Amino acid sequence: MSEVRIEHVFKRFGAVTAVDDFNLVVKDGEFVSILGPSGCGKTTTLRMIAGFERATEGEIYIGEKCVSSSEKGTFAPPEKRDIGMVFQSYAVWPHMTVAENVGYPLKIQKVDKETRAKRVQEMLELVHLGEYGERYPHQLSGGQQQRVALARALVAQPGLLLLDEPLSNLDAKLRESMRFEILSIQKKLNITVVYVTHDQGEAMAMSDRVVVMSKGVVQQIGHPHEIYTNPANKMVADFIGLVNFIPGEAKGDRVFIKGTNVSFANPTDITGDATIAVRPENISISANGGQLAGTMVARFYLGDAVDYRVQCGDNIIRVIVKGADVDAYPDGSTVYLDFDKTMVFSKD
Amino acid sequence: MLSRINSKFIVISLSVLLLLYFVIFPMGVLLYDSVVYDASINFDNYRAVYSQDVNWRALTNTINLSLLVMVASVIITFPLAWLVGRTDMPGKKNFRTLLVSSYMIPPYVGAIAWVQLLNPSVGYMNNFFKDILGLSQAPFDIYTFWGLAWVLTLFYSPFAFITISRAMEKMDPTLEEAARVSGASPLRTLIDVTLPLMAPSILAGGLLVFIAAGSCFGIPSIVGMPGNIEVLTTRIVTYVYMGSIEGVREATALAASLMFLANSLLFTMTYLIGKKDYTTISGKSTRPNIVELGKWKWPAFCAVGAYGMISVIIPLGSIVVTSLLKSMSKPVTLDNLGFESWIPVITSAQYLECIWNSVIYAVLAATIGTALSLFVAYLAVKTRVKGRTIPDLLTVIGGSTPSIVIALALVITFSGNYGLNLYSTVWILVVSYLVKYMTMSVRTIAASLSQVHSSLEEAALNSGADWLRCCKDIIIPLIAPSVIAGWFLIFMPSFYELTMSLLLYGAETKTIGVLLYDLQTYADAQNASVLSVIILGVVLVGNLILNKITKGNVGI
Repeated sequence: MSEVRIEHVFKRFGAVTAVDDFNLVVKDGEFVSILGPSGCGKTTTLRMIAGFERATEGEIYIGEKCVSSSEKGTFAPPEKRDIGMVFQSYAVWPHMTVAENVGYPLKIQKVDKETRAKRVQEMLELVHLGEYGERYPHQLSGGQQQRVALARALVAQPGLLLLDEPLSNLDAKLRESMRFEILSIQKKLNITVVYVTHDQGEAMAMSDRVVVMSKGVVQQIGHPHEIYTNPANKMVADFIGLVNFIPGEAKGDRVFIKGTNVSFANPTDITGDATIAVRPENISISANGGQLAGTMVARFYLGDAVDYRVQCGDNIIRVIVKGADVDAYPDGSTVYLDFDKTMVFSKD
Repeated sequence: MLSRINSKFIVISLSVLLLLYFVIFPMGVLLYDSVVYDASINFDNYRAVYSQDVNWRALTNTINLSLLVMVASVIITFPLAWLVGRTDMPGKKNFRTLLVSSYMIPPYVGAIAWVQLLNPSVGYMNNFFKDILGLSQAPFDIYTFWGLAWVLTLFYSPFAFITISRAMEKMDPTLEEAARVSGASPLRTLIDVTLPLMAPSILAGGLLVFIAAGSCFGIPSIVGMPGNIEVLTTRIVTYVYMGSIEGVREATALAASLMFLANSLLFTMTYLIGKKDYTTISGKSTRPNIVELGKWKWPAFCAVGAYGMISVIIPLGSIVVTSLLKSMSKPVTLDNLGFESWIPVITSAQYLECIWNSVIYAVLAATIGTALSLFVAYLAVKTRVKGRTIPDLLTVIGGSTPSIVIALALVITFSGNYGLNLYSTVWILVVSYLVKYMTMSVRTIAASLSQVHSSLEEAALNSGADWLRCCKDIIIPLIAPSVIAGWFLIFMPSFYELTMSLLLYGAETKTIGVLLYDLQTYADAQNASVLSVIILGVVLVGNLILNKITKGNVGI
């Protein structure tokens, strides 16, 4: 169990800044996700924590120990950082049995054979692979291999567990159940976790806090609910969940949909050109009156909901209504929209 | 539909028959001849051959040399492949080109170069060491077992280098990273993870070197024979040159032994690799995991640079300089250099005829071979006909058989004993080149054909093109580079071929390789160097074209 402190960390590859002034404190036992599109610098950040990349600037602490500091010139190699790590490609060694894979960190620590076997068996049972110790990785499914990797990462009781998109090679159903499994193991062992993913659903479901990154820069750090309901900027709003962006004009404490006199509250100090953001599920639809009139363009039946496209002036607005009747508003009919929980961002 | 299957069947049968007749049948005849003694099948021939001390020594020399060269190549190559593939050593790209380039130099040219450098009487390098160390005697003698091993190692280690570095780059780097976070030091990671995972490739690369070194004739004939170091290939040529029936029969026993040795190892290798293929699943993490060398950066650069100098640049330099010497007896100074010695060579009708012959035969082999390769590759990759991969397999067998064995088999089969008499004609040379080199072109064309997904053809057919139109507009443009590459892959080795040509040429069909061999054995080092430079020039130009066409994906 360790706290992780990352202070003013930069990573530059030549002229490219992959990570730009990253600051984060992961508390003891906390589960923090780093979320962002590919190429945003999240994996580079994780690899700097692990010691596979050297930070160009800044300091990284794991527990009390400074593992990387450009100023002091200290750099602890990965094997000296007391971490466990799970990779996207599983990285389970094909030439060793499951038990040998899991027991390897203990073998390095020269733990005696008996204790080792006992610990390995405990870990395998924790990941529900108690019977699989003597098998070779190629005899296992992808999900099982990933659980071997998880057991291997945890067997030496590291203070910190790093996960690099561990579920992205698994199929959708397995991914959901593995989310739960990883989370329950984390709670059971009360271990600090840094989890890198590009899947917002994964990050939202699992994390105590989420770090949203884009183009090497941290956009927002917060509780999943906070990030969803109160995104810091357009990028975060767009990346997390679905959102409509509508050009607007801010005047004092109101923001108007461009070219109309429909307006919403403006809690920001933006004036002039602005972007109004509203999530599709926060819009209600009716045939007889509302804030904004439009024409029904398309409807998609999703089973538990209906996904509408409504043309309002120049904008096509997406509306999702739970449990709606797909035939209630035919294509071409006039409908009225009411917006709730609108957000205001600067134009760009 | 029925007629199309039938035409495919006819094409397949024809190419199988053709390949059977020219590849498998001669080898069968060779094997048969080697075991028939006094009109019955027995091993008396082998007993007679190996009871002679010189032959037994040739066999043990071949095995010992190949083993030594194999081990040395792997030991040298593994760190080289690692430095070039996995570190931030400066100049990696150029080093890679340099290190694989001895692959395209004809082995006997390399041998000639090392004889110039390290022969005990006038070797350049020996003289250099004598001068700076004040020695009275030359420190090295190339005409020894160790000298032979040295040249073979330098020329065949690229086989191991290519295999090992390819595997190293294919390996998922997170397998090593997982060991590091498990607490293993870099060295421990190398021992516990990297080496075991690479073992099949290291073994495969090593066996390739073993087979190549054991099958080589050019180097042992030039470096070994003057010092009476005999190997199987040189014994075979000596026996054939005796010209008697007994001589040829004894040669068949040696050739059959060599064939058995090479093919059984090749089989073992294929089996081992097939069984232990650690091709790993990996997601995005295939980014090369580059190790920062830090203060070791420049020492590593110097070490690899020195190896490149010794293995490629110095030998080639020696040949170029020798070809330009005005007087062989005077020391190497700028005054003593010029193109004077080139004039008699490039104006000699005899030399020009040999060069011209080689060009014509290589063009013939390359053109016929590419056409056949297209058929073979198309059958193997694009059809679902039963037995579609048999022709491909037959060309692989041809390519993996030692040249000397192919040549001897062709000599005894096509001298009229079995109907067809090609002896001393152009065609026996062309056939030998086809048998040996067609597999390279089949591989290249098949690889690019398999990249043309059938949906591309289907899309063309859907757009209203008929099958021929589809070939013209879609398939041919997509595979054209590989077809041209395939042509060069047959042309270049055929152009400078020595071993088979030496057994198969006639008075009218002497090739540049044979001419060069004659000059070297008559100790005409200067003209040999001029011819070597001409050969190297052709190979260099060919490779540049090949590189341009395939964007660096294929080369000799």
